[in-house]
Amino acid sequence: MHKIADVEIAKNIMDANDRLAHKNLHLLEDHDIFCIDFVGAIGSGKTALIEDLIDNLDEKVGVLAGDIISDFDADRIKSHNAPVVGLNTGTECHLDAHLVGHGLGDLPLDDIDYLFIENVGNLICPVDFQLGSHMRIVVVSVTEGDDTVEKHPYIFKDSDLIIINKIDLADAVGASTDKMVADAKKLNPDVKVITTSLKEGKGLDEVIEAIKDAKAHEAEHHHHHDHDHEHSHDHDHHH
Amino acid sequence: MHEFAMAQGIFNTVLETAQANDAIEVTEMVIEIGKLAMLNPEQLKFMLGVMCEGEELTKNAEMIIKTVDVEIKCHNCGFEGIGNVDDSDHYAPMILCPECESHRVQVINGKDITVRSISIEKEDDEN
Repeated sequence: MHKIADVEIAKNIMDANDRLAHKNLHLLEDHDIFCIDFVGAIGSGKTALIEDLIDNLDEKVGVLAGDIISDFDADRIKSHNAPVVGLNTGTECHLDAHLVGHGLGDLPLDDIDYLFIENVGNLICPVDFQLGSHMRIVVVSVTEGDDTVEKHPYIFKDSDLIIINKIDLADAVGASTDKMVADAKKLNPDVKVITTSLKEGKGLDEVIEAIKDAKAHEAEHHHHHDHDHEHSHDHDHHH
Repeated sequence: MHEFAMAQGIFNTVLETAQANDAIEVTEMVIEIGKLAMLNPEQLKFMLGVMCEGEELTKNAEMIIKTVDVEIKCHNCGFEGIGNVDDSDHYAPMILCPECESHRVQVINGKDITVRSISIEKEDDEN
């Protein structure tokens, strides 16, 4: 005779990733590193932004560059004399905390002030995978179409800074930058929306200021409470 | 394709739990998916099904997938409870406060993917 039994499990599948993300965050905080997760579609300008920031931030930056199978982005960043580790996700569409943890082991953590993580170009999959960053920046370009923001509400709602790039091309592609800004503000009223043309150097100063503010804010707070990277909590501090 | 990673996580959890409880067969698994979990239940079910078929313990298991409502706290009016999921004009659903229609809501629950329970068959202890 066989008997039937019910077994309660109640296990959240994302717990394992979240635990590893916490571990990454603690490791980074032990080294006083401020970590930013850059998300955005393919060709939105994530790598270009990271290159500009390395050159203009006047602090030491390390980079984890996520790519499906290539090292193109990592090679571009290397030419700016910043330590960079390429993370190949294979066929996966996002970085996860486990992969980032491995990358951290290959960076000179004692020697950097910022860690930039360039996520895989995708506006959907990275949303739920926390990596252990303090801040998430989403980059969208007007050339993706001015309905891109409203079509991907989660990633814009879950980011701490929204950058709308390539505004110099808006007229050429018939996109309304104002519409994209309005959509972004509607989805996430508490965070800054910055319009940039990285090619022309427009808006970069504002981005740098926003990043420095966030870093200073984090330094003030991180001894007071355990940061769990629930973005909606973050917003409470940003006012 | 992160449904695959999710399906793998669910499958491993089911298998480990079944083995730890000396199951000879898993007959049912109950999985809860938040309405805000970024994945497609049909794809998940397909992939999980393929994984289950490949394993003696799970090949006959029935998958029961339940959706979980989105619980919110509104930063605008203070409402706490089930949020309105508006997927009429979006490719992905937006969450609004049902009281004041604000977007300034904090999601308390409804993002998770949870393996709730499994039903297993095991040898009777008397044997």
